[in-house]
Amino acid sequence: MIEFIEFILFGAAIGGIFALIASGFSLIFGVSRILNFAHGVCFAVSAYSAIFLIKELSLDVYSASLIGVAMAVLFGLLVYAMTKPIRNNAVMVIIVTLAFALLLEQILLLVFGNRGLTLTPFVEGVQVIHENLRIAKIRLIAIPMAIAILLALDLFINRSMLGKRIQAVSQDLEASMLIGINVEKVFIVTIAISSALAGFAGILYSQIFNVYPAMILRVLIYAFAIVILGGLGSFRGSILASFMIGYVYLATMKTLGAHWSEFVMLITIVGILAIRPTGLFGVRE
Amino acid sequence: MRALAIIALALLLAFCISQPEGVGKREKVVIGILAPLSLPEGSAQEKAARIAVEEINARGGILGYRVELVVGDDKLDPTIGSAEFRRLATIEKADLIVGGFSSGVMLATMEVMAETKTLFLADASSPSHSAKVAENYEKYKYWFRLQNNATTFAYDIADMVKMLREHGYDVKRVYIIRDEHIWAEDVVKALKPLLESLQVEIVRDVKIPRNYAEYEPLILEAERLNANLIIPIIALAGTGDILVKQWANLKPKILIGGDLLAANDYGFFEKTGGAANYVIFTADGGTLITDPITEMGKKFVEKYKAKYGHYPEAHQAFVAYDAIHLYKIVVEEAHRNGEKDPFNPDVLVKYLERFNETNPIILTRPIAFTKNHDLAWGDNLTRNLISQWQDGKQVVVYPKNVATGELKFPPWIK
Repeated sequence: MIEFIEFILFGAAIGGIFALIASGFSLIFGVSRILNFAHGVCFAVSAYSAIFLIKELSLDVYSASLIGVAMAVLFGLLVYAMTKPIRNNAVMVIIVTLAFALLLEQILLLVFGNRGLTLTPFVEGVQVIHENLRIAKIRLIAIPMAIAILLALDLFINRSMLGKRIQAVSQDLEASMLIGINVEKVFIVTIAISSALAGFAGILYSQIFNVYPAMILRVLIYAFAIVILGGLGSFRGSILASFMIGYVYLATMKTLGAHWSEFVMLITIVGILAIRPTGLFGVRE
Repeated sequence: MRALAIIALALLLAFCISQPEGVGKREKVVIGILAPLSLPEGSAQEKAARIAVEEINARGGILGYRVELVVGDDKLDPTIGSAEFRRLATIEKADLIVGGFSSGVMLATMEVMAETKTLFLADASSPSHSAKVAENYEKYKYWFRLQNNATTFAYDIADMVKMLREHGYDVKRVYIIRDEHIWAEDVVKALKPLLESLQVEIVRDVKIPRNYAEYEPLILEAERLNANLIIPIIALAGTGDILVKQWANLKPKILIGGDLLAANDYGFFEKTGGAANYVIFTADGGTLITDPITEMGKKFVEKYKAKYGHYPEAHQAFVAYDAIHLYKIVVEEAHRNGEKDPFNPDVLVKYLERFNETNPIILTRPIAFTKNHDLAWGDNLTRNLISQWQDGKQVVVYPKNVATGELKFPPWIK
């Protein structure tokens, strides 16, 4: 029983962080049909900025994290500006965003080195659930934090006027323009939200685990795989897929060993896609 | 005028005769550093090599030739490492190459070394490197390791278990967490029979990939499996600090002690926010970074701190520093013995081999080579000193002949 509770909690934490990353990636694709291969940049830039600010300017973790997320949004808008002139050419968008991601990875490598860095957690210490089950408080806190943000996003998209405009653009770009929706504004808001989600995921991830330059591409692989599994453009599908993958990742680690976890995670995705090519919640266009 | 010309010619002739073959042709001595420069283990090698080269040049170079340092970055990639070795050996015309870190990269670069017949004073730890020398001496004889062979890490970990028992901590069940890498494979292969002979059961042997950071479930599992000791054999994963933080956070009734490369780092205590307290580790390469065992080591560390503002980032600094000084020593020895070309790698191999178990040379550590060109291991040679972080300081706790303090147990254990 204890092991089962441990499994649920640890899987929820990693799944929640995956969901923050993947939902943003899905959101951009759903609205603008852009496959943003620089999504991992926002994740890493946010974490590295916060680590730098705490170490070099002695900022507290909350202010540093806030600035970190702001930096992620800034980089997201930079990606928007870079891809705007080539938005209609999907291949060019992939090439440019991937090149940008690789460039940032090299810059982080030169500035911070190849070793993983951790961010000071919002809360230190361990929560004793049972004699044989103690869990770092930050990991426990990350679960409701991620869920709250995802719920708020779901409410925003489904209830607010701007959210409804985002939905309208994702359903039919031309019709949205015809009824007077400022599509560019919707694109900008979407990429800002998506980057903030990735940025916040970076903050949480680096507080529980660590961040290193190669995370830029690793995050992209996670996000891409999860979004395809959930169904391209399906926000709720991405979230469900994130938790599924989080649990597969953890179950593999506990049974086969840590070095198999990513392999099995990706094999699972390939297996599901072989049976259901549109993903769990995708629809054939 | 004619007499002057004859004297000048005679002097020139005399100079040419007095210079051994190979010496007269050169303008400088080129030493290459090949290491993963974005890692502390790599940058420390480059920085240490610069100090050694500065010292040698300040004393007139090697046989009067100025030493020049050229640098290659292997990026922990065997293909890049091989290409960089080739560049250093053929384009930069390095007389000596120093470095390496990853055992996988080392295997690849040794092939280029053999092809280019370049003297290679190396780091990395897999026994497979010296096995190559044993299998094909003529081909691989240019390779010498100034770092401990991974098998010796197993000896030291087994001694750690014995030492803990001597202190009343009965180690019966151990939980191994190790790099998914050739070097850790070699350590575990050598460690298993040693633990068996000590009647210690391995309750689990977990391999982790690079940048792995999910240690909490592993620590909790070790606790459930009633392990007494978590043995980390971690270098390339690069997340030893996270393991230690999560261990100190969870406070399991299990000691942590093993080959945890990150714990060798002088900044480890600070990096872990003090969580490193009571962590037992092997001081790889035979010296504590913050408290070297020889006079030369102490002076080197002081110079390093003066030049760079901090202790060496990794013990690989000692390897690079020793390697360059050792090279100067053997070249000069070869010259004194009238060798035609004292820079010839085939000649220098013989001179390096003279430093064996019965005839070590004391640099920052005692350097002696086995017949397969491994660094010789032993209490009076170079062994991975069993050490512990105690209140922000690194303390050697075993062997007794170099111990600087007594073992301490965490308050939540004893």
